[in-house]
Formats: sequence, C-alpha cells, structure tokens
Amino acid sequence: MSSSSTISSGGGGVVGGVGSSSGGGGGGGGPCGACKFLRRKCVIGCIFAPYFDSEQGAAHFAAVHKVFGASNVSKLLLHIPVHKRLDAVVTICYEAQARLRDPVYGCVAHIFALQQQVVNLQAELSYLQAHLAALELPSPPPPTLLAPPPLSITDLPSASSIPATATFNLSTILDPVVPPHWLLQQREMELRQFGGSGRSPTENSPPTAGGGGDLQALARELLQRHRSSVEQSASAQQTCTSTATTTTITPQLRLT
Amino acid sequence: MSNSTRCAACKSLRRRCPQDCTLAPYFPSTNPQRFACVHKIFGASNITKMLQQLPVHQRAVAADCISFEASSRVRDPVYGCVGIITQLHQLILVAQRELAEIQGQVALYGAQQGQEQKRMAQSQVHQYNGPIWFTTSQQDPPHLD
Repeated sequence: MSSSSTISSGGGGVVGGVGSSSGGGGGGGGPCGACKFLRRKCVIGCIFAPYFDSEQGAAHFAAVHKVFGASNVSKLLLHIPVHKRLDAVVTICYEAQARLRDPVYGCVAHIFALQQQVVNLQAELSYLQAHLAALELPSPPPPTLLAPPPLSITDLPSASSIPATATFNLSTILDPVVPPHWLLQQREMELRQFGGSGRSPTENSPPTAGGGGDLQALARELLQRHRSSVEQSASAQQTCTSTATTTTITPQLRLT
Repeated sequence: MSNSTRCAACKSLRRRCPQDCTLAPYFPSTNPQRFACVHKIFGASNITKMLQQLPVHQRAVAADCISFEASSRVRDPVYGCVGIITQLHQLILVAQRELAEIQGQVALYGAQQGQEQKRMAQSQVHQYNGPIWFTTSQQDPPHLD
C-alpha cells in the first residue's frame, strides 16, 4: 500500500479523510502532526495521519493530547467506523480546545447557554399561545410546547438519537455562547444532581469569557479543510473498504 | 487505608488511597461508573492534572463537567457533547419558528381587530341622517318662516 499524502490546504489542521483508510504517514510525506508532536516515527497506517497534517495539525493534536491523551484518542478512533472518524476528530478537537479555554466548564458552558435559550424561547412561546387563546382567535390547536418544564442536563437525550438525516452547520453549532454567572451557578446545582456525588455547592467563578471567537475560528478552519478535501474527492466514487486507499466521508453534519 | 475507604479512582486503579487523594472527593466509591467513564475517555492522570491545576473550590464543578463530557462521549463516541449541542440548536430553531408563527397570528389578529373597529365606527357615522344644515357643508339652513 502506497503511503497517502494528507491534503492540507493553506495551513493544515484537521483535514479531510482523503487518504488511505488506515491512514499513512512516513515515507515521503513526513510525519503527521500527531507523530510530529509525539516525536515518534509516523508509520504507515498511523491512525492520526489522515486527520492531523504535519503543519498545524501538531498544534491541534497538542490540545487533544493534553486533554484526552494520545492513547485514549487512538483507542476511541479504533472503535469508530472510518467514515465517521473525521467527525469524531473534529468534535474531540472542539472539546479539547474548549476544555483548555475553560478548565472548569469546558464545552458544558455552551450547553448551559443553549439550554437556557431553549427554556426562554419556550416560555415566550407559552406566553404568546396563552395570549392568543385569550384573544379568542380561532387558531389551530397550540403545539405541544405549552409550559415546558425547565431543562436540565439529566433531561437531555443522548446524542446518538439524532436522526441520520439531520444536517447541521457545525461551525455555527460550535460557536460558544458565554452564559451569565447566575446561570452557571444554577447549572452547577443541576450538575451536582447529575454527578450524584452529594457534595455541597461551592463557589465558582464564571468561565473565562471572550474565547468564543477562537473556537469558532477553529471549527470553521476544520470544516473548510474538510470541505476542500471532500470537493477534491467528489468526482471520484470513494468506497470505504479494508484495503481502500481512499475514504468516503459521509458526515451527518453538512458543511457550509 | 483499608479497602472499604478507597475512592472509586484508587479502587479502579488498584492502589492505596491516600488521605489527600486529589480524586477522592469527586469520585466516591459509591459511584464507580462515574470514574470508569472519566478514566476511559480522559485517563486518570489527565483528570488528576486538570483538577490539581484548579483552585479547590472549583474542582467539584470541573469534575462534574468532565464527568458529563465523558459520559456523553461514551454514549456517543463520534459526537459526544457536540451531539447534545446539535440537538439544542434544533430545539432553538423549532421554537424560533413557532414563535414567529404565533407572533404573526397575534399581529394579524391585532390588525383585524383594528380594521373591524374602524369599520364599525364608520358605519355609525353614516347611519345618522340628520338635517342637511347640520352637515359640514356650507349650505345655509332653510328659512323657517
């Protein structure tokens, strides 16, 4: 199997999965970003090679390694189908960067903020529906969002229940929103219920703010590279086989 | 320290649990699954380093968030927490769409109400067939001889 070269468009980072399904560094292409960071020989079949190029991939991998550890990520990727590994790497990079940016809350701060937005919207919806009913307007039956209970992390369903046909703009989704201090304290209480450790609430300071732009930039950078690699391979039919030299990326996340 | 007082972390790692164990306050032996998730995704040494870098009063929240991220990743190895973020975005979109519809209906009702009231006011004015001289025209009233 010839070593495949990773596609890095203008700066590296996480790239699209056009390359051998089992990755491939070393050879003439040089070590991948992960092996460069780890200062080890990048063998053919390196699991990180398709996703961390030798330019800026090392920087991204540094964050991943610091938070998760190379061996943990490697084990995680081995259990994921090849055509989904790019998405997994993108989300792992996002979580790692978020955790480094905010060592206390990490990406959970973003979840809290979105959760609060949902609650606010549903409250506003309930109010307007009641208002409409009071006006005695012959409107269709109100939707089933009347007076929804407040959400908590324990109420959130598993991410695996997302329908396969769902398409989302990952760069928009990964735009973190800084939640207010009071909200974080409220969510801290909910987390205690989720964690089940029974500890008494402790004081906490709000998460570091203002770092959202970098994370959004990371997400966009990753997606742009993936999009460019997908476009380059769009003309050829790629199949994912055990000996294939290319991989098919069929992300559930639509890249815009 | 006897086996029964070891925290979940030290129990899982099969080591002695010291009095000042960093992980003990956040991974009690009563919830071994919590540490198992965290250890699988992040690794015990990474968790220990992360918590040690934080002030003590922030470690509990951090441990809870880390635990949540780990369990999300275990449940959904591809998307982890991002899957939840995605779902929340969907909920927000749906709620915003419904909100816009309801606001449109309220505005429409308001407009209809306004038109109805205007129509009723105008019909009341036309129904009054008083003497001509009481109109706004400049005609002189007839002489009443």
